[in-house]
Parts: sequence; C-alpha cells; structure tokens
Amino acid sequence: MAGFSSYDDFIQKTTEQGKTYRQDWNKNMLPTTAAVAGEWSFLARGAGNPGADALFNTGTNLTFVPVTDSTTNASSIQTGGAVSPDYKYIANGSAFSAAVTTQPSILMLVDLVGYYRVTSTTTITSQAMTNTLAAFSTFTADASTDICTHSNINLLPYTRCQLTTTTTLPGGLSLATDYYIIKVTDTTIQFATSYANAVAGTAVNITDAGTGTHTINTLYPRYTSGAGLKAFMWANNATPLGAATPSLSFPAYTNSEQATGRATPTVLPVGKTAAANGLVLYSGTGAGKYGPFMPFQAPDSGIAKVDNVQISVSYVSGEFSIGICKPLISMPMTTIGVASEREFFSQIPGGLPRIYDGAALYWMIYHGAATPVNSAFFGHLDFAWG
Amino acid sequence: MAGFNSLGDYAGSVVAGDSHYSSFRKTPSQVTTAGIWFDLSLSPGNPNPQYYAASPLVAQQMKKSTDGGFNHGPDVSPSYKYANRFLILSNSATGLPMPFILCDYLLYYPFVDTGTNDEQLMTNSVTLPRWVDGKGVQMMAVSVAPNSGTLPTFTVSYTNSDGVAGRTSQTQQMNAAIANGSILTSSVGSAISSGPFIGLQSGDTGVRSVESVKFPATTDVGLFALVLVKPLLTSALLEQTAPVEVVGLSNQSQLPRIYDDAFLGLIALPRGSLSGVGFYGEIETVWN
Repeated sequence: MAGFSSYDDFIQKTTEQGKTYRQDWNKNMLPTTAAVAGEWSFLARGAGNPGADALFNTGTNLTFVPVTDSTTNASSIQTGGAVSPDYKYIANGSAFSAAVTTQPSILMLVDLVGYYRVTSTTTITSQAMTNTLAAFSTFTADASTDICTHSNINLLPYTRCQLTTTTTLPGGLSLATDYYIIKVTDTTIQFATSYANAVAGTAVNITDAGTGTHTINTLYPRYTSGAGLKAFMWANNATPLGAATPSLSFPAYTNSEQATGRATPTVLPVGKTAAANGLVLYSGTGAGKYGPFMPFQAPDSGIAKVDNVQISVSYVSGEFSIGICKPLISMPMTTIGVASEREFFSQIPGGLPRIYDGAALYWMIYHGAATPVNSAFFGHLDFAWG
Repeated sequence: MAGFNSLGDYAGSVVAGDSHYSSFRKTPSQVTTAGIWFDLSLSPGNPNPQYYAASPLVAQQMKKSTDGGFNHGPDVSPSYKYANRFLILSNSATGLPMPFILCDYLLYYPFVDTGTNDEQLMTNSVTLPRWVDGKGVQMMAVSVAPNSGTLPTFTVSYTNSDGVAGRTSQTQQMNAAIANGSILTSSVGSAISSGPFIGLQSGDTGVRSVESVKFPATTDVGLFALVLVKPLLTSALLEQTAPVEVVGLSNQSQLPRIYDDAFLGLIALPRGSLSGVGFYGEIETVWN
C-alpha cells in the first residue's frame, strides 16, 4: 500500500530504498514596490532559484489555465518528479530571511493547480469565466463490475468530469455529460450521474467496454474535486493596477461539493489602489481586507471552479490573476537569520503534507513588517515517498 | 540490504559501532559581509582549506581522499552511510545568527574570468563523482580573486539532471562582496540575485555538468570558481551561548546520505564579518 504504514516503514523507504529528494530554494520579494505590514504577496514573480515566473500574465482573459511543475515558464519549486503509484510527502523544511528588515513574517507554501488571467479590469459587470476540461487520464471499462481503470492517482472522489473517446464510449456513458467519481482504489473508479449519487455510491451501469481509447477530462490536474482548494487574486504584472479600490467578488462559483451558484459573502473584499506586482489585492488591514484567500459562502471549504468574477468599479488599467491553490505548510519567521524549521512527522499534528505528482509549489508571504523590494528568503524542503 | 529497515536497525548500527565521530574547527581569515553567503571550505582550520586551484575551466572532481573536507569516516560500500548528528558552535557573537548548509562538494570549474564578454567554455573530461545524475545538485559561484564591485550579470549554460544540454540559468547579478569565498549571487538587495545557488531554468531540478559561462554586458575584474554541490543539511547557529545540534532522523526526519569519499563542507550566511571567529563542530555518521 502506498504511503507509510509505520515509522519503521518510513525509515526503510527513505534509507534502504532512497525515496527522498531535497530541494533548496531562494525567493526574493517582488522587485517593484515594498509591501506594507499586514499585506500578503504571492512570490512567483520574484527572482531567485527558481527564477521569476513568466506565465501568470499570459493566456486568454477569464480562461482557466492548469499549472504543473513542468508548465513552461511556471518556475515552480521542484519536488523531484512523479512517484506514482507511491505517495509523496513533505517530511521536513526550513525557511529563513536574509533581508535587511522583514521580520516577523509567515511563508505559506501552496500548490497552485491553475489560474485565470483577468485583463478586463475596467469591466464592472459580472464576467463569466471559461472552464474547459482537459484530458486527465485514459481509462478502460469492465461491464461486469461497472468499474473503470485509469492511470492517474491524482483523481479524487466526487470529482466532476466529462468523457471523450476516439471511437465509442462504453455503453451507459455519454459524451458531453457531467459525471462524478466514485473512487474504488487509486486507479479504479465508477461513474455516477450526480454528486449525491457519487456520495451514495450509486454507479452508472456500464453495458459494454466500448471501442477506441477513452479519456477522463477534468478541470484541475490535482485536487480534482476542489476539496480544500482556495482562491486568491494577485497583481500578476510589473505594471501595477490603476487607481481604484473596487469590491472584488465571485458572483458565482462552484464549491467542492459541486454545488453551483455559490457567491462571495458580504462584506466583499476591497482591492488596493495601484496594487503592485505580487500583491494579494484585498490583503492588508482595515475594512474590506482579507488575506490571503477569498472568503467563501458558508459553509464551503473548497472551490471546484470560478464561474463569474466581478470588479465593482473600474480598476482603470492593469490586470490581475485568480489563483486556485492548496495551502500546504506555513513557516513563521521571527528574526532575520533565525531558522523556521518544521519536521512534519512529529511537530505538526495531522501528519505529512501530501505532494501530488505534478505539484507546482510557490510561496506566499504575510508581511508582519514592511518588506523592502527584493528582500531575500531561502530554505529547503525534504520530500519522502513510499 | 544496505540502509535501515527499522528504528531498531538504525539503533543497532550505532550500538554495534558502525558509526564514526570527528570534530572540525574553522576560523575564517576573510572579512565577510552581512547577508552574503560564504564558503567555509576556503577558511583555515581543521580540515585544511582548499582553494579551487586547478587548470582554468577544466572540471575537477572533489573527494575527501584528495581534497579534504570534513572527516566522515571510512568507505563503507556496499553499506550506506548517513549524516547522523551535526553540531556547531561559535566562540563569538559576531556574525550571528548564521544559517548554514552542509554540502557534498562534487566538482568545480576553476577560474571563471569576470573580465570578459567572451563565452567561457568548460572542459568536461570528468563527470560528477557522486549524485551522478545531478538531481538536486546546485551551482554556486565562489569568489577566488576579488571583484571591484561593478555588479556585472552573467548566465550559465548547463546540462540538467535529465541529461538535457543547453539549459540556461537565470540571469545572475554579482554582488559587491570582495572576500575570497564569498558566493557572488547572494546579494540581499539585487533584483536578480538568487541566494547561495544559481537559479536554474524553469522546471529543472538539478545540474549534471556545465557547458559555459557568459557575461553579456558589463564586466569586472576577479575570478570565481563554479562549484557543483549537493546540499545535505540545513540549520542555523543562533547565538554564542547556544550550540546548534541536529540529529537527522529525530530532528528533521531525514538521514542525509554520505557517499564514500564525499568532500563535505559548509556554506554559511553571516550577519557580519567572520574574520577571526572560531567555529567548532562535530559530525557523526552511521552506516548499515
């Protein structure tokens, strides 16, 4: 079975079998404008090792773009490659500041599954997003058990998906139709016709195996149901946004229970005027400030897609992006040069943070103090799998 | 089978004496700069310093048997050896707190000239002696002849750990630190610095070899060695009164692998000059 069954099993897999990988990282604060205490920033565009991304201000307006560790110009922190069918975890990590004046602060590591670029920042009406599903895994069907076999262990239960084929889908399944995943094992599933049926375990009756190659299509490459995923908006470009303080909202989103028509609750987050590169738009202190993530309608805990976005007044100029991410670890830093160290086996209740194949890791930072441009942060991550 | 199959197996190796203890002392003579990473392998002490002195631009392997570094015990193949415990303390508060990284120094390219716009081609007559695929292997630019502080930029063309040649590093800006041993890409205020290790092309996890170095515009005087290292263990020395001790398995859920004949050394990030500051440390390895 994947994962670790005991501490002895962990020791065996990380020493005898060498299933470890260490990644050192260095990331600089964004190069354009100093951050103010209380704000959050997304550090993808900061220089360092890995270097600045050249991705998040590219792509089609309002259209979801999935991100993996091999996406061109993504410049995410590497995790040592795919290990499926094993499970990979963060076993240990460190974070430091080498800056002049930045502490205290908190670094939060996130797995960014994708983003929407928003260039229509002068439009003040609700704008619909484009959420095109992408190929996730091929599958075969067994009509005798209604069980399908696929090859991508990142698939989570209750994920909404659609199916395509090169010839004819298995009997009982249709093209251009939403199905929901009943997970049997990491590589076997059944399909349900609704989220409720998936939860109840009521599967579609498959009558034959079909012909050709069949494909499961999902929106996200990881955390496919949206469970535990958060959304945030950040200035994605060296050119800051224009002078305005709009309310920012999702008039409609789909939660991780696949319910549509969910909406950002009042009081709406308020964007910062002339928000600079990397800034989480609505972070900071005072009325209408949140951070780092967009608030959800109660009691939602995850987001499966953004259906609409709205900016209450024109941002005049500039653009931003909406990131969809899974928060993984937080590293509080108290003093320049003093390590924030986390050993996840014993220090953090709840166990080892899972790293899925293709994870695109980035740092977000909470500024406990004013943070000068290009302030340097560094550290390392130890991964282990089994 | 080599390695440990349980906590009891690990403890058994210690009890059975399949372990090695050694101490080290380093007293840098160099006037280091706050916020600039520094390579302690060039500093006097025990083990003796080394200076990355060899034929310019020709790859040189680094080994304990020929170059020194911390003594981690005998070759143990076919067993596997690990860093079990690491301790370091300082006899001075100067320069602290000071993060450090224990590295396996694998290979270096001597005497990269910062004073030319010509592409400087490396000679790769040898390959990485350990961590041979380059996964997780990083590059660092270590000053061996002072620059003047004109802060030129450069890029490195390299082969990544997947064996893909022609990869290009992030554009790096040299810092103004002039002490030998300073790592030239670690300025804390530069828009394009990258800390101790040179920023790789997006998607790369490590470096297998280097093809060339290029200064596209401004040049300087001085020389650096381009050193390929495998980082093993990270921690920080906080204050003079408190040695830092890391027990790999219990403190960091990791037992960093130490290959036979590995050259082990430290890089550190001081908060001031380390000139005359004495560091004492211990390293214990264990194998099975």
